[in-house]
Amino acid sequence: MNKSYLELQGIRKKFGDSTVLNDVYLSIREGELVTLLGPSGCGKSTLLRCIAGLTELDGGRIVLGQQDLTNLAPRNREVGMVFQSYALFPNLTVSENIEYGLKMRGAGKKERANRSEELLALIDLEDKRDVYPQNLSGGQQQRVALARALAVQPKVLLLDEPLSALDAKIRKNLRTEIREIQKRLQMTTVFVTHDQEEALTVSDRICIMNKGNIVQDGTPEQLYSTPRTEFVARFMGSYNVLTRAEANRLFGDGIGTAESFALRPESVGLLGEGMNVGGDVPSADKRIVEGTVDSVNILGNVIRYFVDASGVRLTIDRLNDGRSPTAQANGKVRLALDPSQLLRLEKEGA
Amino acid sequence: MNMKPKVGWTHRSLLFLLMLYLLLPLVATGLYALATNWQTTILPESWTLNWFKDMFQDLRFLEALWTSFYLCLISVALSLVIMLPAVFVITVYLPKLESFMKGLVVLPYAVPGVVAAVGLIRTYSSGPIDIAGTAYILIGAYFVVVLPYMYQGIRNSLLTVSAVELLNAAEMLGAKRARAFVTIILPNIWPGVIISTLLSFSVLFGEFVVTNMLVGGHIHTIQVYLYQRVSESGHLASAIAISYFIFIMILSTILMRLGRKMNGGTQG
Amino acid sequence: MKRRNRWMWLGLVPFAFMVLAFQLAPILSMVTGSFSKIDGFGFTMDHYVKIFNSAYYLKAIKNSLLIAAYSSIVAIIVGLACAYSITRFTPSVRDRLLMISNMTSNFAGVPLAFAYIILLGNNGVFTLLFKQWGWNVFSGFDLYSWTGLVLVYVYFQVPLALLLLYPSFYGIREQWKEAAALLGARPWQFWRTVGLPMLTPSIFGTLGILFANAMGAYATAYALVGGNFNLLAIRIGSLVAGDVVNQPEVGSALAVILAVSTLLAVFLNHQMTKRSQRFTGTYAPKSNSSKERSLRARARAKEEAG
Repeated sequence: MNKSYLELQGIRKKFGDSTVLNDVYLSIREGELVTLLGPSGCGKSTLLRCIAGLTELDGGRIVLGQQDLTNLAPRNREVGMVFQSYALFPNLTVSENIEYGLKMRGAGKKERANRSEELLALIDLEDKRDVYPQNLSGGQQQRVALARALAVQPKVLLLDEPLSALDAKIRKNLRTEIREIQKRLQMTTVFVTHDQEEALTVSDRICIMNKGNIVQDGTPEQLYSTPRTEFVARFMGSYNVLTRAEANRLFGDGIGTAESFALRPESVGLLGEGMNVGGDVPSADKRIVEGTVDSVNILGNVIRYFVDASGVRLTIDRLNDGRSPTAQANGKVRLALDPSQLLRLEKEGA
Repeated sequence: MNMKPKVGWTHRSLLFLLMLYLLLPLVATGLYALATNWQTTILPESWTLNWFKDMFQDLRFLEALWTSFYLCLISVALSLVIMLPAVFVITVYLPKLESFMKGLVVLPYAVPGVVAAVGLIRTYSSGPIDIAGTAYILIGAYFVVVLPYMYQGIRNSLLTVSAVELLNAAEMLGAKRARAFVTIILPNIWPGVIISTLLSFSVLFGEFVVTNMLVGGHIHTIQVYLYQRVSESGHLASAIAISYFIFIMILSTILMRLGRKMNGGTQG
Repeated sequence: MKRRNRWMWLGLVPFAFMVLAFQLAPILSMVTGSFSKIDGFGFTMDHYVKIFNSAYYLKAIKNSLLIAAYSSIVAIIVGLACAYSITRFTPSVRDRLLMISNMTSNFAGVPLAFAYIILLGNNGVFTLLFKQWGWNVFSGFDLYSWTGLVLVYVYFQVPLALLLLYPSFYGIREQWKEAAALLGARPWQFWRTVGLPMLTPSIFGTLGILFANAMGAYATAYALVGGNFNLLAIRIGSLVAGDVVNQPEVGSALAVILAVSTLLAVFLNHQMTKRSQRFTGTYAPKSNSSKERSLRARARAKEEAG
C-alpha cells in the first residue's frame, strides 16, 4: 500500500509566455485521496487536466501503475474525471450517462444495466434513472457525474472543483459523501479545490500549490499546524503572520534567524482585567503582553478578537463556550504568548 | 424579471402605433389580394379568391416557386455539410481562428449584395471558369449569403451545450472523437442547427439583389418573378407577395417554437 | 496530441475553398478591376477620377449617404423609444411584439416596395382616399420621390433598430435604477448619468449597422422606382448588369466606394461593441452557471439574428 501508484515526474506546462506548471513532482499511493489546493491560477486544474490527458505536457512524465501515460490519448488512460460543471450529456438520461463509458468499451447491454444499477444505488438515485440531467438538482447532477466516472472502474479518479457550483449546505453533505464512497471503493483520487476547509475535511494528503509549484504537501494536520511559508500560513487559515521586527516586539530576542513568523490565532491566551478570559493560566514559560481590543467578532462557536499589542495587530480566536466572560471592544487585555507556538517561516520559493 | 409595474398608456400607445405602422403594409397587401376592386373606400368593396386561384394556375409562378425551392434547398444543404465540420473544428479546436470568423458575422452589412455581385460577375463572367448566369455561381453566392447565419447558429449551439467540456467528458469515458461527435455533440446541437438552417432558408427565399444581378435573365426565382409581375396585375402580385409572406411567417413560427424548445431543453 | 489534431484541418478545406472562391476572390477582383484599364491591363485611377468629376455620380453618392443617414437616425430614435417601451411589458407580450418586429423585418425588398405602391402609389388606396376626402395635406406627397423613399427605408430600418437595441436595455439592471433612486436621482437623472452612457456604445453601434444596411439596400429602391432614382447601389447595378451600357470598371470603382462606406460603418459598430464589452465585461462576475450562460447566448443569438 505504501508503494507509489500515480507518479508525476517533472511536469512542465507553459501557455504562451506564462509558466503554468513549473517542474512538478508528485507521487500518490494506491487508494489515497490527494487534494491539490491553491488560489485560482495556481496551476492545480491544469495539473489535473494533464493527468487526464486533456492538456498536453511540455515536459515530464506521468506513470500510472506500470504504465507510462504521457503519450496516451485520454480515452486509453483508464482515468475517470468529474468536471466542475459536471458535463453530463443533456441528450442522455441518467442511466444512459452512467452507461456511456461502458458502451464505448463495447460492454453488453446486460452488463451495462447491472453496473448502472449498482452505481445508482451507490449514489442513492435509483428513482431518477430515466430522468434527463437538466431536470436534476445541482447536487444530484454532481452525484450522477461521479457515478458516470466510476462506472468504468478507472484506476484514478480526478475531481475538478466538483463542489464549487453548489450551495454551502449541499457542498458539506456531498463532500462527506464523496469521501465515504472514495474510502469504500479504495479509489485513488486527485481532488482539486480552492477551499481549504474542504481540503482539510476530505483529504489524506494535501498539496498546496502556488504559481505552478507545489509549495508544501502533507497530511491535513501537518499543513494546518506547521505551515512552512507565509503563503501556506495565510492560505491555511487566519494565521497571524509577523515580520521579524513585530515578532521581536512581542517575543523579545532569541527567536531565531527567520525573516517572518506565524502564530496560530487560538494559541494566544487572553487575560481580562484580573481574570482569565480563556482559562489560560499565566506561567513562567509564557510572555505577557499588554494590548487593546480593536473589535470582537462572533463566528458562531468561535469568538475572534482583533487586538492591538505593542503596535502589532493580532487575530485571536477563543472558544465561545458561554462560560467565560468576553472582553469588550476598546477594553484593555493582557495576552499570554507561548514562544513554543511561534512558527518560523521559510522564504517563498525556498 | 419579477412582476413589472403596470404598463403605462404612453408605452401602450407607442407600441400600438409601431405595430400599426409595421403591419399596415402587410394588411393592405393581404386585403388587396382578396379584393375584386379597391379604390376609394377604406375597405375593399367586394372580396374574391380568384387572384389566388389565378396564381396557382400560373405556370410561371409554379415554376418560379419550384426554382426557388430547390435552389435554396441545395444551397442550404451544401452550406450545412461544409459549415458543420468547419465551425465545429474552429470553435472547439482552433479558437484562434475565431477573431477571423467574427468578421464574417457582419459581412452582409460590410459587403452588401450589390458589391458582392459586382465582384462575382467580374470573377466568373470570363476567364477559365465561366459560370456567369448559371446556377453554380448562384449557389456559390448563396453560400456566402447564409454564411454568417450558419456560423452564428452552429457556434452558439456549440457554446450553449459547452461542447468542449462534453467532448472532454466523452473522451475520458473512452469515446473516440468521431464517435463522441456523433453520439454527444450532434444530438445536442441539432435543434440549434435546424434553426439556423431554416433561418438561412428563409433568408435565401427572400433574396433578390444577388439573384437578379447574377442570373436575373436566366433563372427566375420567386422574387425575380414577383418583380416582373409587379407592374402587370396589382392584385395578382399581391396574392403572390402575401403567399410568400405567409410562407416565411410559418417558417419563422417554426423557428420560434424550436428556439424556445431548445432553450428550455438546455437550461438547467 | 498535435498529430491527432491533423485530420481536423480536413474539415476546414471545403469551407476555405468556398470562402476563397466566392467571397475573397470576387472582392479582390473587384478592387483590382476598379484600378485597371478598360482593356484589362495596367494600373489606372481613371475610373475614380471620372466618378469624382461627374456631377451625376457625385449626386448618386450624396443621395445614398443622405438617405442612409436620415433613415438610420429616424430609425434609431423610433427604435430607442420602442425598445424601452417593450421592456416594460410582461415577457409574453414582449415576445409577441418582438416576433412581429422580427417578422416584418423579413418583409423587405420587392414585396415591401409593392405594398407601398398599393398604399401610397399613384393609384394607391390611401392616395385615392385622401384625394376623395379632399385632404390636401398629402397631395404633395409622392412615393416615388425622396420623401417616399425615406419613408420606405425607415420601414425596414425600424425593426432592425428595435431588435438590435432592445437587448442592451436589459443590460441596464433594475437594481441600478433602484440604487440611483435611493441616492436621490430622479428617473431622468438616472437616464442621463447612467442609463444613456451605458446605452451609447450600442446606439452608435446600431447606427453603424443601420447606415451600412441602408447604403447597401438595392431591392427596395429598385423595385419602387426601377433604375430611375439616382442612388449609388442602383447606379452600380445598372453599370454592371444593367440593360443599357455595361461599364464594369466604373461599376467596380463605385462598388469599392460603396464598400468603403459600409466598411467604415461596420468598423464603427465593431469599435462600439468593444467599448460596450468593456462596460459589461468587467461588471459581470465570471459565472459558471449554465443557466446564465444560455440566457446570455440567447440574447446574443437574438442580437445577431437581426
